[in-house]
Amino acid sequence: MNRSDWRDYPWRLVHAAPQPPALHMALDEVLTEEVAARRRPPTLRVWEWSSPCVVIGRFQSLRNEVDADAARRHGIEVVRRISGGGAMFVEPGNTITYSLYAPETLVSGMGFQEAYEFMDAWVIHALHGLGIDAWYQPLNDIASPAGKIAGAAQTRRSGAVLHHVTMAYDIDAGKMLEVLRIGREKLSDKATASAAKRVDPLRSQTGLARADIIERMIATFRDLHGLATGKLEPRELELAANLAASKFSRTAWTSIVP
Amino acid sequence: MGLYEPPSAVQNHSRHGVTKMHGEYKMPGGKLIVADLDVRNGNLTGVRISGDFFLEPDSALTMIDVALEGLPAAAGSKHHAAVIAAALGRHVRMFGVSPEAIAVAVQRALETRP
Repeated sequence: MNRSDWRDYPWRLVHAAPQPPALHMALDEVLTEEVAARRRPPTLRVWEWSSPCVVIGRFQSLRNEVDADAARRHGIEVVRRISGGGAMFVEPGNTITYSLYAPETLVSGMGFQEAYEFMDAWVIHALHGLGIDAWYQPLNDIASPAGKIAGAAQTRRSGAVLHHVTMAYDIDAGKMLEVLRIGREKLSDKATASAAKRVDPLRSQTGLARADIIERMIATFRDLHGLATGKLEPRELELAANLAASKFSRTAWTSIVP
Repeated sequence: MGLYEPPSAVQNHSRHGVTKMHGEYKMPGGKLIVADLDVRNGNLTGVRISGDFFLEPDSALTMIDVALEGLPAAAGSKHHAAVIAAALGRHVRMFGVSPEAIAVAVQRALETRP
């Protein structure tokens, strides 16, 4: 399988109005399949959230990761995504999340590590343009002098690769640590998060509004790889709404690793 | 929200005389691996491996749990790792996790036994 290049594809941007957590989970599955089936061109999707949630990774234990009482108390929904990786705490406006959906040939022959770095090279470029001395930190983080900026996750299916990333814009660390049970083993890595009231590497290092950072990131992607504005098709929205209801809102999936 | 069972389901001691054990291991250069299991008659039971690692395909997680189920707890990490590796074969891709690292998490769970 020959490797393809970013510029081989007519990249589309999807940046829809705020949507609920389960629908976001479903859109990742549907759009990956649509790109795999070549019904949709490769796509950059920027997420907007309509409600707070915890998103746990495909292989994480629900009760090990989430304090269910604290989540209920704060009105925070818990959803599970289709990719591995760690839990993230989302309140509208506190993070920047995006997904890339591409044919697997874009990363063919690459190991996991190389593929992660390759898919996010444009973001490192964008962050440098915003004045942040950011770098890719194996296995799957984007780091900066002020701490971890983002975590990435990938999964592959039907010949397509899904790469999605959540970046910390301005997170309420106290609430996050109430809702997420961060394991003893992991706590040493997160010492900076527990000491600070806010985890805000993007806000504090740019002084920019979240929307302005997103705009600069989109502009960087467009410059490097080409990008035309697109939208979700009615068929895709219908598939995703059905999948959100039948899978991503249900205990059978959310507690698949109890 | 009624999305899942409350954490009261977590028990240190069940009513059936088995002990719930929990171990965690951060693989060097990798991710966190968690093992939750019981031991009954000297064999691993109710094994649940979890963590923030990556597996392709995702069904491999169940293959790992099934492979560990019923193994002698005292068989040791090397044996546990070999059984996991054999069960997964060559087609499963692992990132931030390995059979050896999973076996360490299992060993740590076993060492938590009171």
